[in-house]
Amino acid sequence: MAAEKSKFSFQSISKYMYLLSIVVVFAIFTILQPNFISLYSIQNMCGEIAPRLIMACGLTFVIFTGGIDLGAGYMVSATCVLTGLYLPKVGNWIIILVALAGLCMGTLNGIITTKLKLPSFIVTLCTQNFWNYIALSLCPDGSVIVPMTMRDVTAWMTYPILGIPATFWFSLIGLAALFVFQQYTKNGRAIYSVGANAQAARVAGVNIDSAQISAFAVSGLCCGLAGIMYAYKLRAANPTVGSTLQLSSLAAVALGGTAMAGGFGSVTRTLCGVITITAVTSGLNILSVNPLWQNIIIGIILIVAVILNSDNGDRNLVIK
Amino acid sequence: MAGQLLFKANGVGKTYGLNTVLRDIDMEIYSGEVIGLIGENGAGKSTLMKLIAGVTKPSMGSMELQGQPYSVNSILEANKHGIGMVFQEQSLVANLTISQNIYLGREKKYATLGFVNWAKMNADAKKALERIGIDLDVTKKVRDIDFAMRQMVEIAKVLDVVTETANGHAIILLDEPTTVLSDDEIKALFEQVRKMKEAGNAVIFISHRLDEVLEITDRIYVFKDGEETGVFPTEGADTNILYERMVGRVATGEFYIENRQTVATDEVVLQVKDLSVFGAFNHVSFDLHKGEVLGLCGVEGSGKEDVCAVLIGDVEPTSGKVIIGGKERTFKNPYQARHAGILSVPKERRDEGMIGILSIENNIVISHMEALQNGFILSGKKTEGIANEWVKKAGVKCVGIKQHINQLSGGNAQKVIFARALESNCPVLILNHPTRGVDVGSKEEIYTLIREMTEAGNSIIVIGDTLDECIGLSSRIIVLKDGLVTAEFDCPVGNKPTQMDIVQTMM
Repeated sequence: MAAEKSKFSFQSISKYMYLLSIVVVFAIFTILQPNFISLYSIQNMCGEIAPRLIMACGLTFVIFTGGIDLGAGYMVSATCVLTGLYLPKVGNWIIILVALAGLCMGTLNGIITTKLKLPSFIVTLCTQNFWNYIALSLCPDGSVIVPMTMRDVTAWMTYPILGIPATFWFSLIGLAALFVFQQYTKNGRAIYSVGANAQAARVAGVNIDSAQISAFAVSGLCCGLAGIMYAYKLRAANPTVGSTLQLSSLAAVALGGTAMAGGFGSVTRTLCGVITITAVTSGLNILSVNPLWQNIIIGIILIVAVILNSDNGDRNLVIK
Repeated sequence: MAGQLLFKANGVGKTYGLNTVLRDIDMEIYSGEVIGLIGENGAGKSTLMKLIAGVTKPSMGSMELQGQPYSVNSILEANKHGIGMVFQEQSLVANLTISQNIYLGREKKYATLGFVNWAKMNADAKKALERIGIDLDVTKKVRDIDFAMRQMVEIAKVLDVVTETANGHAIILLDEPTTVLSDDEIKALFEQVRKMKEAGNAVIFISHRLDEVLEITDRIYVFKDGEETGVFPTEGADTNILYERMVGRVATGEFYIENRQTVATDEVVLQVKDLSVFGAFNHVSFDLHKGEVLGLCGVEGSGKEDVCAVLIGDVEPTSGKVIIGGKERTFKNPYQARHAGILSVPKERRDEGMIGILSIENNIVISHMEALQNGFILSGKKTEGIANEWVKKAGVKCVGIKQHINQLSGGNAQKVIFARALESNCPVLILNHPTRGVDVGSKEEIYTLIREMTEAGNSIIVIGDTLDECIGLSSRIIVLKDGLVTAEFDCPVGNKPTQMDIVQTMM
C-alpha cells in the first residue's frame, strides 16, 4: 500500500532527523561555498559550538520536565557581563563565582515555578527581564573590553588543543557530565518522570519539586558557563550576546528530537541539534546573508523540527 | 436469531515493531446480536476493537462492512459507517460540559450562522442520556462528575453518534464498560444493550467478568496471546472451557490463594488515631499489623478512598494522627509518605500509575532509586538487573525492559506498577483496586504477589475491586459508612464473613 509506505518513510525521517539534518546542512553549504568545510572554518565552528552546546544542553533538562526557560539567552548575557567586568578584579576565580550566580538564577526560576505552582513559561518570561537588566545596567554603553593586561589570564580558555580551541573540549566534558546526570542519577530520571506524567510520578513518591528545581538549576548553571565562555572568547563583557541564543538553543533542542512536551529526549541529541544550528549560522555568515535573516531562518527550522517531531504514529511518543 | 451479515474480518492482524499483538483473526458480526470478547490482558481484544473502530489500521488481513471492503483512517470515519466505540480509558474532555462532550465535533447540527444553539443541544443531550436511563445536569462540566457517570456519558455519546448515521445497522464496541460501574448502572447498561440489539444493531462487549459476558451475549469469541482460540454460542457455554481457552489452563478453586494467607503478628506497624478530613470521613482509628492484609470496604463515597489518600500523602488530614515507625507523621506529599514507608498502587492506572512514555525499567525503579546508587551515580547494571528480574517474576509480557510502558496492555502495565511498589521496600503498601481492569490470569499472578508480600513481612491495606476480592484477600476487614467506621470483621482462612454479612454494615 502506497499510503503505508509513505507513512513509514516519514516516520523514519523524523526518527533520524537529528543525524540527517547535520549531513544535509553540511552538504548544502559545501555545495554553495566549498570553503565551508575548510580547516579554518571547522576550527571556528567548534569554538562557536562550545558555549551554545552547554547552554542548549542545560535548557534540555528544563524541557525534559515539560517546562521551558525563555530567559536562558538573557541569562547568558548577564553572566557574560558579570564575567567580563569582574575578571580583572578576581582573575580566574570569576569562573566559580559566575557559575554559582547562574546556578542561583536557575534555582530561583525553579523555586518560583514549583512553590507558586506557575507555568514555567510565565515565570521565565518575567524573570528574564531581570537578567536583561543586570546585563544592560552594568554595561549601559555596550560591550566593555577586558583590559589587554588580562590576556595572559584568559588565554588558556581558547588555547588550541589538536588545533581546536580548549572551550570545545571543555564543552564535551560538560556534555559527558550532563549525560551522566541525565541517565545515571536519581534526579536525572526523576526529571524525565515529571515531564512524562507529573501526577503519576508524584504518586510514585518522586520528589517532583526537587526534580523540577534541579532541572532549572542545571539550566542556570549551564547558562552561567556559556556566559563565561563567551566572555573569555570575546575578551569582553557583551550585554547582548545572548539575545539571539534563546531561539537558536531552543531550535537545537527541538531539532535533536527532544519532546517539547517533556519526558523524552537526550543531551546527546541536543549535541546534534547544536552542530546543525551552528553550521547554519556560520554557513549564512560565510555566504554573507544579512544577519537579520538568520533568526528568521532558524525560526523556520524550529517550526519544521517540531512538526517532524510531533506524533505521527499511533504511539503518542512525542507530543502528549 | 442471527440477522444479516454486517461485518467480516478476514485474517486480520496487527504488529507494533517486532511485537505481533494480533494475528489471523476471522470474525463475523450479524445484525441483532451481542458478541462477547474475552481473553487475558494482552490477548488482543482491545487491539481488535481499535482496528474496527478506526483508531489504527491492521498490518495484515482485510475487513468488510455489509459486503463492501472496509478501511477507515479515523474514529470519525468509522462513525460515519455506523461503527462507534466506547473506550476503556476515558476519552471525554474534562473542561467541557456533558452536552458539549456528547456533541463534540458535531456542533454544526446546532449552528446557525456560526452561533451554537446551546439550549437545543442541551435538551438533546438530556434526551440522549435519558435513553440509557441516566438523569444528569448536562451543563455540568465533565471534571465535576465521577468516573462511573463519565462512562455513562461516553456510552450515551457513542450511541447517539452511531444511531444517527447507521439507521439500525450500527456496530457498537464496548471495551470493558462495566469496570467502573455499580450494579444498578450495569443493569441499566444491559437494558440498553438489549434494546440496541432488538433494533437490529450489533454490539461487541468486552469484559473481564465472565458472568456478565454469559448474561448479555449471544456468541463468545475467546482470544489468547493475540490469537483466536475459540468461538462459542453463549447458550450452553461451559465456563470451564471458556476459562481454559482463555488462559490455557484449567481454573483452580483456590482463586485468592487463601492457603497462603498469613496470620498477622501482634507488631503494629501503622496506627491511625481519630483521623478526620472535613467533609470526607471522621474519627477513623485502626491499627495495621505486620504481615496483615487489611481490607477497607464501603460504598462509593463512604470515605475509604479518602482514608487512603491521607495515608499516601495526597491529602492532608484536618485532625488526628498517623503513627508509623513509632513516630507521629503528617505527610505533605507522597514523597514524604514513601520515605516514612507507605506507597500506593493507585486506582487510575493511566493517570496516576503509569509514567507513560518512560521505559518499563524506569517505571519499576522510580520509587526506589536511592538504594540503587553508588555514591550519587545510579548503577545502570542494578536498575536493568532489577527490571529484568521483575519482568520475569511478575510475568510481564513485553519486548524488553526498554519498551515504553504505554505500549503494554492494562494487566501487564499493572504488573509493572506492582513491581514498582514491591521494589520500593516500603513496609506498608496501599492497594487501591489492585486488579481493576485486569484479566483473570493476571489477577491470579497479582494475588500471588500480594501473598508473597505479606509472607515477606509487609503490611497491606487493600480496597478491593469487588467485595468478593476484598474478603478473599484480607485477613481483617474494616467497613466504612458515611465517613465512619461501622464494623470490623476478622477473616481467618476457612471462616470468612459472607458478602451479605459485610453489605449489611455498609448500607
